[in-house]
Amino acid sequence: MSDIQILKPQKTWSHLAARRRKPSEYEIVSTNLHYNDRDAASPYELDPGMFMNEWYKKHTFDTALKHADWNAFRDPDEVVYRTYNLMQDGQETYVFGLFNQFNEREHDKALDPRWAGSLGRLYAPARFLFHALQMASAYVGQVSPASTLTNCNYFQMADSLRWLSHTAYRTRELALAFPDQGFGRDERRYWEQDPVWQGFRELVEKALTTWDWGEAIVALSLVVKPAVEEAVLRQLGASARHNGDTLLGLLTDAQLIDADRHRRWTAAFVAMALETTGNLELMMAWIACWAPLADRAIEAYCGALPDAPGAADAARAATRDIRRGLGL
Amino acid sequence: MAVLNRMDWYDLARSTNWTPKYVAEDELFPPKLSGEFGLPLTAWEEYDEPYKQTYPEYVKVQREKDAGAYSVKAALERSRIFENADPGWKSVMKAHYGAIARGEYAAASAEARMMRFSKAPGMRNMATLGCMDEIRHGQMQLYFPHEHVAKDRQMDWAFKAYDTNEWAMIAARHFFDDIMMTRDAISVSIMLTFSFETGFTNMQFLGLAADAAEAGDHTFANLISSIQTDESRHAQIGGPALKVLIANGQKQEAQKRVDIALWGAWKLFSVLTGPIMDYYTPLEHRKQSFKEFMEEWIVAQFERALTDMGLDLPWYWDIFLKDLSETHHGMHMGSYYWRPTVWWNPSAGITPAERDWLEEKYPGWNDTWGQCWDVIIDNVVDGNMAKAYPETLPYVCNMCQLPILGTPGKGWNVKDYPLEYQGRLYHFGSEVDRWVFEQEPERYAGHLSIVDRFLAGMIQPMNLEGALAYMNIGPGECGDDAHNYAWAEVYRALRAERKAV
Repeated sequence: MSDIQILKPQKTWSHLAARRRKPSEYEIVSTNLHYNDRDAASPYELDPGMFMNEWYKKHTFDTALKHADWNAFRDPDEVVYRTYNLMQDGQETYVFGLFNQFNEREHDKALDPRWAGSLGRLYAPARFLFHALQMASAYVGQVSPASTLTNCNYFQMADSLRWLSHTAYRTRELALAFPDQGFGRDERRYWEQDPVWQGFRELVEKALTTWDWGEAIVALSLVVKPAVEEAVLRQLGASARHNGDTLLGLLTDAQLIDADRHRRWTAAFVAMALETTGNLELMMAWIACWAPLADRAIEAYCGALPDAPGAADAARAATRDIRRGLGL
Repeated sequence: MAVLNRMDWYDLARSTNWTPKYVAEDELFPPKLSGEFGLPLTAWEEYDEPYKQTYPEYVKVQREKDAGAYSVKAALERSRIFENADPGWKSVMKAHYGAIARGEYAAASAEARMMRFSKAPGMRNMATLGCMDEIRHGQMQLYFPHEHVAKDRQMDWAFKAYDTNEWAMIAARHFFDDIMMTRDAISVSIMLTFSFETGFTNMQFLGLAADAAEAGDHTFANLISSIQTDESRHAQIGGPALKVLIANGQKQEAQKRVDIALWGAWKLFSVLTGPIMDYYTPLEHRKQSFKEFMEEWIVAQFERALTDMGLDLPWYWDIFLKDLSETHHGMHMGSYYWRPTVWWNPSAGITPAERDWLEEKYPGWNDTWGQCWDVIIDNVVDGNMAKAYPETLPYVCNMCQLPILGTPGKGWNVKDYPLEYQGRLYHFGSEVDRWVFEQEPERYAGHLSIVDRFLAGMIQPMNLEGALAYMNIGPGECGDDAHNYAWAEVYRALRAERKAV
């Protein structure tokens, strides 16, 4: 009996205790939280062959995108729930401050009705696109093999709801200023029928039905989101500034702050993925498969932006720069 | 201020359904993930969430809530509440955090399932906020206990429990995985939010908060009541989904899901929450008995909610009402007797004063459970400690994964409810557990209970030592009597008194 070792309290969770470094709040509350990797045969504590067990075995754990320890992933911003709200409450105070100020100055009344028509066609329908990003991030999050990756995707999902909310809010304001332009009524028709949106619609419908986690995260973070952000945030914002719509330019700038954060974790994710032989070629192949769809989407959308010559080229080039900067 | 009101733009933010063109509707919303109810997108656009909140409201309110809970924690960090707490109360915290924290985090992915796969746009936005809530609950309920991890090795289980094959955790995972991790979006909304969160989390969080406040643990009381304010919002996701199902002729399917989830929740609470409330919480700090809490928070609440919804009471309601006075006493005795297999130190809770309380709350307790405790008490008082510890495993149910038990005494009624399915014999602790299995046997049939694993030779050596190793619970973590048997002194004194007379 004398050689029985009594376990003593440690300074942190046992799974973090082996390291010599004091864990941050982020690590204490974010790392290794999924428990569906305990038993390779049965991610969940039910019949190993039931539908959802097979789903996770196939789409999460059997993806071709391999890493010996995805749980080692860390968000470079170390965002936790409470810092997310601190940050985004501040950001929302800023954005709603803009809404308030510009409304008081009767900003919308000064807009050219033709530009208002462009907003009806090229801006208001974006709520469908942002909602698709929200849904896609929710999926990638729920099938991610590490909680640290899951959390980045869930915060990204919430940010997408944020963008959607701004769009809905502005759509209503524009409906009040331009009652005859179809704001709040025609967005679905534009989204489903107008050629300017069909590229993005095809892109997100296909991304939303990509079930393999590896391909889904690559398609979403490295192709779909860069294309949406460069075209529907950055180039739309630039076009807005050329049409006296200062508010929209400031709004897309504020949204791009979220996009930049998403790109920082994506960069850390790619760097980690590239530690494993074979992933580079695999990711390049997926990107080669998805990029033409994204390029067509950018083309169709940016081509219609008023006073934005070269917008499509610039957006497309920006998506290339993002990937090249990550070694892809 | 020149800003719009919430309801000026709220409906636009949830007008997000579109007809897919480049993929089929069943590809965008696969029935096995979105719900096999055969309802088209348009039917789900009728969904109307009663609790409406926008993104900017959410981040503002949640920031304020966090500021409250975290500042109470910071203010009381040096208060030595934990060090000075009754050992029974420490056990309450350990059991709670271990069974709940990472389960809440997992619920974020159940919410994300609703977000991605529900055909109801209102549900998708509410589940986005619900997903964020569950990240909050997972993270807070890891951050708060982490403060104590250096003081007590059992606190490590606030994190570790979900990674182990500890028997209560097998039961907890089996339940949560069944109702929230492996179901379609609509079933999750019914089983997790309507059936579990509406009543049961209310009871766990508000009931326990009341006890915590009584016990002077303000950090914990504040934490869990703050969590409950989120639950009371996202728990309302399921109600409108039930309405859509009922309006579209799917009442029976809806009812079945409610009935399955409610029963599983009850069984899990009978082992985790019942003992906590009726035995671990120091007598002077008990607000109500477990049964009283159940009657107030669950029975009354569900009778009202189900009727309002046009659903029926579960077919097993009479069985459930009867079990409210019984099951958790057996669960307590089991987890106390098998205390080396749990990560907290069970409080026996059977001093004469506590027995009087139990007898008052549960008339007949002394003639039933009390008789068994008399044997344990005699063994401890006599120093026969070997007899006060287990040697083997109890038989567990193939559905709830908890011991099969009955009420001792004259009405001794323990009974196995067996079922043969595809050549394998299953054992259930009740008619209801067996019924749950029969609804969708393919979900459960290939699962092995801890006893099945033991009998299959997966646990070696085949004794308590092997079982503890299999559960990954070692010396320093294993539970023992919370008060180090101090209560036995009372009985020794009583014996001495009797002898003197």
